[in-house]
Order: sequence, then structure tokens, then C-alpha cells
Amino acid sequence: MKEIFTMWRHTQLVVLTALSAAIYAAVLIPFKGFPIVPGFIELRPANVFPVVFGLLFGPAGAWGAAIGNLIGDFFGTLSLGSLAGFIGNFFLALLPYKLWSVYFRSDENMEQNVNSGKKLAVYIAVAFLASTVCALIIAWFIALLRLVPFTIGLISIISNNAIMAIVLGPVLLLALYPRVKRWGLLWTEIMEPEEVSAPRLRGIGSVLVWVGGIGGAVAGLILSLTGASPMGAGVGLALIPFLIVIVVGAFMLGGREQVEAAHEMIATEGDESEA
Amino acid sequence: MDPSLYLDRDTFVHRLDPRTKMFLLLGMFVLAFVFTAPLYLLVVLAIVLFFGYLSQSLANLGRIWFILLAIAIVSIILWSIFGSGETPLFLFVEREAFIYGVSIALRLDATIIAGMIFLSTTRNEEVAIGLVRVGIPYRFAFAVSTALRLVPTIVATGLTISQAQRSRGLDLDSGNIIQRIRKHVPLLVPVFVTTVRSTNVFSMALESKGFGAGSGRTFYLHIAMGSRDALVLVVFVLLLAGSIALRVMGYGELEGFTL
Repeated sequence: MKEIFTMWRHTQLVVLTALSAAIYAAVLIPFKGFPIVPGFIELRPANVFPVVFGLLFGPAGAWGAAIGNLIGDFFGTLSLGSLAGFIGNFFLALLPYKLWSVYFRSDENMEQNVNSGKKLAVYIAVAFLASTVCALIIAWFIALLRLVPFTIGLISIISNNAIMAIVLGPVLLLALYPRVKRWGLLWTEIMEPEEVSAPRLRGIGSVLVWVGGIGGAVAGLILSLTGASPMGAGVGLALIPFLIVIVVGAFMLGGREQVEAAHEMIATEGDESEA
Repeated sequence: MDPSLYLDRDTFVHRLDPRTKMFLLLGMFVLAFVFTAPLYLLVVLAIVLFFGYLSQSLANLGRIWFILLAIAIVSIILWSIFGSGETPLFLFVEREAFIYGVSIALRLDATIIAGMIFLSTTRNEEVAIGLVRVGIPYRFAFAVSTALRLVPTIVATGLTISQAQRSRGLDLDSGNIIQRIRKHVPLLVPVFVTTVRSTNVFSMALESKGFGAGSGRTFYLHIAMGSRDALVLVVFVLLLAGSIALRVMGYGELEGFTL
């Protein structure tokens, strides 16, 4: 995941981080008045943004989503839970771009758009998984602190994230992708291949992220609903292995292949226009 | 509409170093989690409110009262249902579960009010330089402070776009909350496009002014920890240590509550 550090070398990506964060926060703030679990979870139409930011701006989108959520908390709900919100939203935007290329062959078009049935299916799958992982991180943390029962946190965050990202996200991505590409602001065009981590057994990495995300959510629900450990140290310790599996899986996914594909496409387009 | 909570006052809290205020905020988060008994948490809340009074920032409570009230009501209901105790109160609710709900409400409200006081007394520029001085890389701190500064601009852009659409006959006010959200979604596209379109110009402007040209940076705004900061930090550390000692001795714990 070295691109989450090397991206800071690029002024354009620093600016995109700030702008993504500002847009996310600006749409979050007006809905602070519609809480689902007050202090932690509110109705969030803005949750359409992190997945789209992740696909378009890569690591800058991930940092932007994390910072934007923190700034959203600055306007009325800043608390210890904001730390989990920062990490959860980071993963909400990070996983879509890390997972995207896993589902395409190297000779296939892997542009981060939803202009085909397969790409739409991949978008829905990665948006759902990223929403689940984000919910798992936040619900785990606030249950560990004994603030909100795990079940309530998990279900409300997953539904909030996934519905907004899956229903509204494709429309937004379809409208924005061509413009962002035309302006040369796609992360795959700004970063150099050597600045992005290469995949290592990305198929297994993908399986680990799915197992960690869905497995952790199911295990937490079982512990919580059966009354074995609805919150506190019990559910806190039980879910740590799943969270580790998600992080290990994310490290294995890479992202360099998307950057190389984008650079090849730019070179081909350049040759064609010269010819 | 200005979503910023900062209040321009000349109080001793405003004059504290931003790093001191960051440490106080983190410490207050810890302090709120030391006790589970509502009387002790009421004292913690009183300390937070006293600090808010000193900083003349309690006026901002008017902007977040709805969230604080909603937190209190939902926490009490949630914990009365999910928690259990030994003494029946009414129907299936036990007294200890109800009291735990009150404790959680006090804890959350205290931390949120502490966050509000921090933002009411600290300018964006101070947040940014404070982050740099505690070791956060400058580019990250720059992104945070730029985003903070741009939020009101983007909110204003959104309002301008919605007013332009209303003047063309778009009805954004009728229907239930879901229907109204759906009507607002198409407005997100121009907000996004208008903002992101400026990226290249913004980047060139930054680089033309030497952004990232050298490793060492100088700052227009200077901050320094003084004796006032040291005094406040010492008093707060003593308060925190005393609270932890009380908790270790068995005070401030809610007895009889189970999950």
C-alpha cells in the first residue's frame, strides 16, 4: 500500500485530497440534523462519495474520505468515535480501487467506470464489501468502548453506506468519469507505476478481504445477537483477527497494474493522434 | 450559511497554544471514559461546561442542541432495551440499565461539547500549524486546513446551484425526507464538477509559490507554548490522574449493570 504515502509527492493529489474532503464534509454537514444513532450515525446521502472518490482519485480519494468524515464530525459530533470514523471511511474509499482490477483480465479494459454490465456488477460488489468493512471497523470500535451495541452500529452503517453507494454511485460515476479523465485527474494517470505497490497473490488477497469483511460482520452479529458478547472486550477481541485479515488482504491487492494499463492507454492514444 | 463554529473572542482559552487545546481535547475524551456512574459524569460535564463558559463559546450550544438532545434520548432508550440490571423499574426495563443509558448520554454529550469548545476557540490555521508542530507531515496538515477552509465555499456553491435550479422551476421542498434527498442528488454533480475542475489551476498556483520546493518550511503564523499553557496542562494532568486514582479505588462505577 505504498501509494497511500507516495501520493503526497504529487501536488495534484494533495489538492484532490483537500477537495474530496471538502466536498464530502460539505454534503455531510447539512444532514447532521437527521441522526440514526445520534452522535455516531446519521442519514448520509454524502456516502455516495467515498467509493466514487476511491475509484477516481485512488489513495487521494481514500485520504479525502477519511479527512472529510473527520471534518464532518468537527461540525457537531467530534468524539472518540471520530477515530474509528476516520479509519472506516479511509477503507470505504481504499478498498474499491484496490479490489477493482482483481475482477478484470490484464488484456481487458479496466477503466474505473460503470459503462458495461460487468463493470457495474464489479462496482456493486466492491461497494458492498467496502461498506461492510467500514461498518465493521466503526461498529467494532464503538462496541469495544461500550457506546453502542455492535448489531445496531453494524446494520445501520452498512445500510447507510451500501444503499447510497450502490443506488446513487453508478449514476454519479457515469457522469463524472469522462470529465475527470478529460482533465487528466485520474489517479492512475497522475501516479507513476513504481510509486504504486505491485500485487502479490492478489486473488488470495481479495479472498482475505472478503472473508475478513463478511466473516467479521457475521461473527460479530452472532456474538451480539446470541447475547454471548454484544459489546466490550468480548466482541472487541473476537473481531481483531478479522480486522487483521482485511489489512493483510489489502496489502496483497496492489494497484500498479491499473496505473500501467492507464499509461499504456495514454501512450496508444498519443500514437494514434500522431499518426 | 457559515458552518464554521469558530467564535472570535479574546479569552484566555482562545490564547492557549493549539497543541495545548488538542491535548486538553484528547484528555477530556479519556476523562469521559474513566467513570460509568452518572453523578461522576455529571461532574465531568460540569467541568466541560465551565471551560466553555470561560471561553465564551457556549453560544454555539444553540447550534448543536438538537444533536445533544437526540443523543440523550436515544442512548437512554437504547440502553434501557439492550442492558440489564437487578432492580425492576417499569415493564422490562431495569433501573441499572436506565441509569447506564443516562451515563452514556452524559459521556457522549460531554465529549461532543468538548469538541465544540475546541472548534469555537481554534482557527483553521491554528489547527493546521498545531498538527505540523505535533509531528504530522505538512502536506497532510495542508490538506486538512484547505478542506476546512473550502467547506463554506462549497456549501455556498451548492446553495447557488439549488437557487438557480429553483428559479427554473425545480421543486426541492415538497415530499418526504427521502423524496427531498432524491431531488437534491442531481445537484451533487455540478457541485463536484465545479470544485474538482479547479484542481489543475490550484496545483499550479501552489507550485508557483514554491509548494513542496524545499524540505524546511517557514510559517506566517507563529505559535509557542507559554507558562499559561504549562499551568493549564499541569492542572488537567492532575485532574486526570486524580480521576483515574478514584476509579482504581472503586469510586465512580455503576454497580449491578450487565449486558
